[in-house]
Amino acid sequence: MKHLINSSEITPEELYVSRRRFIKNALTASAAALLAGACQPGQGDLPAAPTLTPDTKPPTASSLRDDMGNLLTDYNSIVSYTNYYEFSTDKQGPTRLAQSFQTVPWSVAVGGLVGNPRTFTTEEIKSLFESEERIYRMRCVEGWSMVIPWMGFPLNRLLEVVEPTARAKYVRLETLYDPDQMPNQRTQIFPWPYIEGLRLDEAMHDLTLLATGIYGKSLTPQNGAPIRLVVPWKYGFKSIKSIVKIDLVEEMPVSLWMASAPNEYGFYANVNPNVNHPRWSQATERRIGQNGRIDTLLFNGYEDEVANLYQGMDLVVNF
Amino acid sequence: MKITRGQIFTHILCLLPISFLVLGYFRNALTANPIQALTLRSGHTAVNLLMLTLACRPLSDIFGLTALMKIRVILGLYAFFYALFHFLVFAGLDFEFNLKWVWEEIRFKPFIQIGLSSLVLLIPLAVTSTVRLRKKMGKRWQLLHRLAYVAAALSVLHYLMASKGDFVIPAIYGMLLFFLLILRLPPLNKTRLANQPRWVSNLNQFLLKT
Repeated sequence: MKHLINSSEITPEELYVSRRRFIKNALTASAAALLAGACQPGQGDLPAAPTLTPDTKPPTASSLRDDMGNLLTDYNSIVSYTNYYEFSTDKQGPTRLAQSFQTVPWSVAVGGLVGNPRTFTTEEIKSLFESEERIYRMRCVEGWSMVIPWMGFPLNRLLEVVEPTARAKYVRLETLYDPDQMPNQRTQIFPWPYIEGLRLDEAMHDLTLLATGIYGKSLTPQNGAPIRLVVPWKYGFKSIKSIVKIDLVEEMPVSLWMASAPNEYGFYANVNPNVNHPRWSQATERRIGQNGRIDTLLFNGYEDEVANLYQGMDLVVNF
Repeated sequence: MKITRGQIFTHILCLLPISFLVLGYFRNALTANPIQALTLRSGHTAVNLLMLTLACRPLSDIFGLTALMKIRVILGLYAFFYALFHFLVFAGLDFEFNLKWVWEEIRFKPFIQIGLSSLVLLIPLAVTSTVRLRKKMGKRWQLLHRLAYVAAALSVLHYLMASKGDFVIPAIYGMLLFFLLILRLPPLNKTRLANQPRWVSNLNQFLLKT
């Protein structure tokens, strides 16, 4: 089932995301007009619905393939199939439950062992750091993967502004804690809030991205709006979503997954086909939208760029 | 032997999940990762049916719902069917019947070994499920079919180990299974409802009609 998709042919987000709302609206609005619109994506304007998300641009990308020639994953799969346990442990749950997630106003407090602690609003981030497109492979620890055109900027740009001190060895990142908005945070199944960490050299690496968009559009809530981390050579769970806090610290941070299952999730979580996980095959993976399995590559195919970070380290022990 | 209404309903209800799965698969409606959805949902169905199979006897004894004893074998066979389907999705669709891959999965993953043990234990039960064999084997049949509890326990353990972080639902299954098991042990296995409610006897008669 191999097919090339022009980004203009991809179902617009407003169509996909608010399909449920369309169904509800259809009770009051003209059902026929709505159905006509829904059956012909890309043709004509959709009926104006007040519930549309603000970013109604069609998804666009500069290329259909990543640096290794892999086809991009289609936009609908990226926004409909997510792991975001703050909303739901079901893959399609976050898409439904995160629609009213408030990302305005939003700010990210950057502090800890820095010379210049600072809280950035999303507007400041937008004006201070120029956004660029990065097409990265995303490998989930569950054995599936996507190829995603992110919009964002290297985390090192932001870290340079706050000036880490000589004592800073690690970066600790934290997701919003707001059980009113994130229903699963009301349960005790995980030690909320979500925490992730990187060694400072990993955080300063040029591949490490703070992403604010996908396919030229703003991030959807289920994908981690308004700002998230993307570390393409590590398993997806390292790429923490909806960040509110970034701290430079001396000690290795304990991530949420390390705290809840230390034998399954290590601090590094580098994509590695030679280190088995008790549940999922890490030797091969399934690329979303394609049939068949493909081999998983060491460091998710970014070995040339990042292997030097781990020279002399036993990657089986430091999984 | 004539087929009862209860048995017809059981067949219809048990064929619904697979119909939805096959239909959903070919209509591309099973999330962006349909094979994972097939795996999860076939597994859930198998565990649910195993639980229902084991619930037949206590419900029949306690409430006098004897009609359930006529559908127990059918439920058990469908449980086996969904467990087998679950395995075939794993080995065939997910790992393309690539023996090396499948073997690596089984070798390195205790949760798959446990799930597979559950499926293997269900094979002799499925094979000996006919009325003829049941009568022929007598006491030995009863003994053999107690393996259903072992298979169910293994499948719940498999479910628990396969869960990522959220263990609430598998734990509920575990408690349910424990409850079903102690209902079969003395003195609880002698529990009988003194007065069968009217609607229960009506339901029972309805389900027993051929």
